[in-house]
Parts: sequence; structure tokens; C-alpha cells
Amino acid sequence: MLRVEQLSHSFTNGIETTAVLHQISFQVQKGEMIALLGSSGSGKSTLLNLMAGLMKPTEGDIFIAGQNIVKMNENQLAEFRRSHIGFIFQAYELIANLTVRENVELPLVFQSVHPAARKKKALALLEQVGIPEKAEMFTSQLSGGQQQRVSIARSLITEPSVIFADEPTGNLDTKTEEEIIMILQQLNKTMDTTFIVVTHEQEVAARTEKIVTLRDGYLVTEQDQKRKQTHAGGLFHEN
Amino acid sequence: MRISDVTRLSWDQVKRRKVVTGLCAAGISIGCAAIIVAMSIGESAQLYIEKQMNSYLNMDEITVTANSGPQTGGTASEAATDSTMQGKLTEQKLNIMKQMQHVAAASPYQQLNYMEMFTLDGMSSQYQTEVIGTDLEMLTAFGNIFIQGGPSNMEDAIVLNYGATLGLIEEETKAKLQEQLNADPYNEAVIQQYENTGKMPSVMYQKQIQFRYETEGGPVFSRPLRVIGVLKKPSGSSDVQLMYNKKGYVSLQTAARLKKDLKLAEDDQETYQSIIVKVDNQSKLEKVEKQIQKLSVTTQTNLYQKERLANEFKIIIIKAAALGIGVFILIIASISIVVAMTMSTYQRRRQIGIMKVLGANLGQIRNMFIVEAALLGLLGGLLGVLFSYWIVWGINGLIHQLSDEQDAVIIFIPLMTIPIGMAFALATGILSGIYPAISASRTDALTAIKRD
Repeated sequence: MLRVEQLSHSFTNGIETTAVLHQISFQVQKGEMIALLGSSGSGKSTLLNLMAGLMKPTEGDIFIAGQNIVKMNENQLAEFRRSHIGFIFQAYELIANLTVRENVELPLVFQSVHPAARKKKALALLEQVGIPEKAEMFTSQLSGGQQQRVSIARSLITEPSVIFADEPTGNLDTKTEEEIIMILQQLNKTMDTTFIVVTHEQEVAARTEKIVTLRDGYLVTEQDQKRKQTHAGGLFHEN
Repeated sequence: MRISDVTRLSWDQVKRRKVVTGLCAAGISIGCAAIIVAMSIGESAQLYIEKQMNSYLNMDEITVTANSGPQTGGTASEAATDSTMQGKLTEQKLNIMKQMQHVAAASPYQQLNYMEMFTLDGMSSQYQTEVIGTDLEMLTAFGNIFIQGGPSNMEDAIVLNYGATLGLIEEETKAKLQEQLNADPYNEAVIQQYENTGKMPSVMYQKQIQFRYETEGGPVFSRPLRVIGVLKKPSGSSDVQLMYNKKGYVSLQTAARLKKDLKLAEDDQETYQSIIVKVDNQSKLEKVEKQIQKLSVTTQTNLYQKERLANEFKIIIIKAAALGIGVFILIIASISIVVAMTMSTYQRRRQIGIMKVLGANLGQIRNMFIVEAALLGLLGGLLGVLFSYWIVWGINGLIHQLSDEQDAVIIFIPLMTIPIGMAFALATGILSGIYPAISASRTDALTAIKRD
């Protein structure tokens, strides 16, 4: 489903070059829910941006649904994101002058889907995330948890191959965090959608099927929670 | 992306950012209003001049006179039997002219002379009146309107135009004024008084009048004539202009009797001195004139005056200058839109980034901004149309206040100037939106997911 091969990335300020990712390789199967775990500065956000096609890596390849996104130009990437990638942001990133339903529909607007069809789909997703009654409200009238539910519904509307969730519970209290994690788990199971959750919280990572841990730009461990296997330096071994 | 979605998203932004929308729309509306008002002034001035020209020069009329030149072709017997071959104006030729395509009216026209008119109750006209023999029934066909009375077959009857009803004063007063003027010809007060009495209207309907004509043997007087009708004042003319334009229309039979009374040269009873032909469309004047010339008669129009006056007034220059001012204002307005929208792009870069992350491509982002700019242009254009009506209303009010003439130039907004003004406003919006739109589409999507 998603394969990262020998991915390296460095930033240059014209004088010196700083490497932020070193030879990262891992893969995610369809329907899996994995966590990219790491502390601040570990390179997890850079990895997310690269996988989402928002940045070009210095080296390496990224395959999603069999296509190497590193080779794509900006418009091809926009087209690819439109149909294969969903996003959930820490700060929700909803558009204030649109209603909840309109926000959920937005990715389909860029696909020129008929208004009636996208409305039907948006309402069904709002039902799934538990806020159908908020459909015609503006996002400013919702709580943080409710806004994140809208963001989740929006990420699912195009039925993407993979959803990237960037610190999805970062702005929420513990109770709401639990609710959101449960929604993500439920959707992962019922919709068979691949989730890649970027987090710095061990508790959140522990709720996923696999944890990829980054430290100082290196992939440290790749822990399969179901099989209780931990892989370090490229090999899995039984715990 | 569907057009309805692009428009809706753009309209949401226009509604949301009220200050920017207001400033941009105000700039465009001023430019648009300037274009509409400028073009309207040009059009109104042109129409006014044309109206004035028609009023004085009768641009849609052809004066037909007998051809006195050598006659060609045909034998003497043919010429005698077919009067159309002769240069004279016969009734047969008049009927042919009436039947011609685009001829609205044709009527015989006999100018007797300019004479002094006075009423039997002792009022006398300050300026001389031209007496014309014609078919009184045809007066209305030539655009005249009766405000009192109407045409009649009655003998010794006369129809006066509006100018002929002005400036009738008592003989004694007239003589006194004349005397004062002769004694002190540069006295402003006397001149003013003389002019004021000259445009004083009198009720002439059903009054009896007479004409006095100066001959070598002394003055001769016409038979008394009854005023059976008074014509309406022509629109677009002032009393000052009309007080010198005095006309009295009599039937051809009455004209013949007046000629006898006043010892004027008498015409051939079988023919007319001249015929006036009115066409239904000024553009057909030349065509009709050529047809009439085939009847071996002489024709004359005032068409050449049109070109002369058009050259003098240079309406096209007025229009071009006005349009230039409007376009200049729109260019200034467009700079404000570019600045406002570029700022808006900067403020909305996060939103643009999110849209790009959600799958919007460069073209879709660009289109949203261009449509937004076009909506600003449209809004400005609509406001501009309203402003232009308001400005024209103000100018007209000012003209009325400053001018004592009832028929002063009134500016009107021709319908075709509205789409032109709107098109300029829309084009300004779209052109001004191109740079901010390109700038917006180049926004780095990463800014959307970067956290400060």
C-alpha cells in the first residue's frame, strides 16, 4: 500500500546543509493503522510532508497505491492527493465561512462532484463521526473535539487510500482524545482505510497496530503491536 | 471544479471581507460611472446638436423647384402632352412625389414675402412675418402640431406658427420704443425692453389680422385674415430664437388673392413655385432626392450642413476624451484591486494551502481568485451604473438651475452605455485579479500544515 525506500532529506540554508532524515525505509499494508512516533525534531513531520507529496526528498522513493509520488509534478501531485490522500490536522484547519457540511464536501468540490451526491456523502460521514445534527452549523460554533470529527469526516470523503493524521489529538483534552482515537480505530476497521498517525505521545501510538519510531532522523524501531515483533536496523525479531 | 462552486466560494470571500470589497468596488464604480456619464454627455450633446440642426435646417426635407434650364429630348407634341417631361412643378408631379417610397409628405410651398403683421384691434408685430401659401391640411404631416384650431377650407384664413404669436404690441408703444431706440441705440435698458416685448406671447386664435407691404408706390394692405390655428412651439428652441421666426400659412387660393391685394408678381395658376418633400428617414434623403431629380426638376437639401456642423462640433473628440478619463480612473482603481487582492492572498495563504492539500490544483486556486476579482468588478459596475444615474440627475438639476431656457440640454443615459460601462468594470476586475491569482496559486501548500 505505502512503501518508503531509502528516503533521505536535508535542508540547506545556502551555507550549510542539515540532514533531517537518513535512509528511511518501511512499508504499510492496506487497512493498517500505524503511528509515526518521535519527539520534537526527530523528523516525523518532515517524513509526513514527504509522504503526502508536499515536499520533494533529497533521495529515495515513496510509493503509494503503486505510484511513485517523488516523480510527480505539482499538478499531478494535486490530482493524486485529491483521490488517494486524506488529511487530519492538529488544528483541524476548517474553513470558517463554510458550514460543517460544506467543509466536509470541500475535497469533492475540487473533483467536480455533483452537489447532491456530495451532500449525501457528507451527511453519511457526519453520521459516522457522530455529529449529524451539526451539519448546517458553522465551525466556530463547535467544540475542539467536534471540529476534529469534522476534519476526520472531510479526510474520508474522497475514500482515500491513506489518511495522514498529524497530531490529531494534540489540541484536545484527555477525554476527547480518547473519543477521537476510538473514532479513528472504528473507521480503520469499518472502512478498511490505512491511517498513518504522527504523534509524540506514547499513549496514542500504543493504540495503533504498528509503531515506527524516529530519533534524530533515523528510523529506530518498527514495532508490530499485533505480532509483538520489534524490528531494529531492518530485521524483525520476536519479543 | 464546477462554475457554481467557484462562484459560490469566491462570493463567500467577497461577502466576508467587507472593507476590501467596499474599497475595490468603490474604485471601480467611480471609473465605471465616469465612463457612463462621459459617454452619455457625448451622446446627449450629439442628439441636442442634431435636434437643433433639424429644427433650423429641416434636415429631412427636400425643396423642389421648377427646372428653368434647357429641356432635352422629346418632340414638341410629346412635351405638350406629357407634363412630367417639362421642368415645371405640376400637380401630376406632386402626386408622383407623394407616392414615392420613404416620402412622408409632399406639399406645394409658395413664399409670398416678409410683411408687417398687425391685428385689427391695433396690435402690431415687432418683426416681419413670412407669408407662405401651402396645403394647410399637410401642415401636421410636416411635424407641426396645432395647439389651437386646425386646418380649414375657409376662405381668407391663416395659421400662425408659435413665433408669429410673440412680440405683438400696441402701435403707439411700438412707435415709442422705436423712437427711443433710434435716439439712443446703445441704451441697454431700452434694448432690453425692446427684446422683452419681442418675446411677449399674445392670444391670436380667432383674431383678425392684416399684412402691410411696402411697395414703391407706398404701403399696401392685404384683406383681413382670420387666425384659424396656432402651431405648437417646436421642442428644443427658445422664445428668443423663435421671436425672429414668424410664419403665417395660408391656402394656395388665399395666397393668390393676397398676391393680387399686395400687388406681388402672380404665378402660373397651373404650376407650383416649389414643393417641400419630407422623408420618413433622414438616411433615405439622398435616395429620394435622386428619384425626384428624374422628374426634371431642381432639388435642394441641407444635408451638406450636417457634415459642416459635425466637423465644427467634433463630437467624436468629446466622446474620446471622456472615455479616456473614465479608463484612466479605472486603471487607478485596478491598482487598488491588485494591492488589496495581493494582501488578501497573503492573509489567506493558510486557507489556500489547506485547499491545495485537499486536492485543489493551480488552475482551481487561480480561477477562484480571478472569479473573486470579476465579482468585485461586477459589483463595482452595478454601483457605477447607480452612481452614473445619480450624477446625471445632479447635472440635469444644475443645468435647469443655471439656465433660464426651458429646453436646455438635458443629459440622458443611452441604454447602450450601461453594458459598455459594465464591460469595462468587469474587464478591470478580471485583469486586476490575474497577478494576485497567479501569486495565490503559487502559495506553498506546506504553510497550511506548518505550526507556528
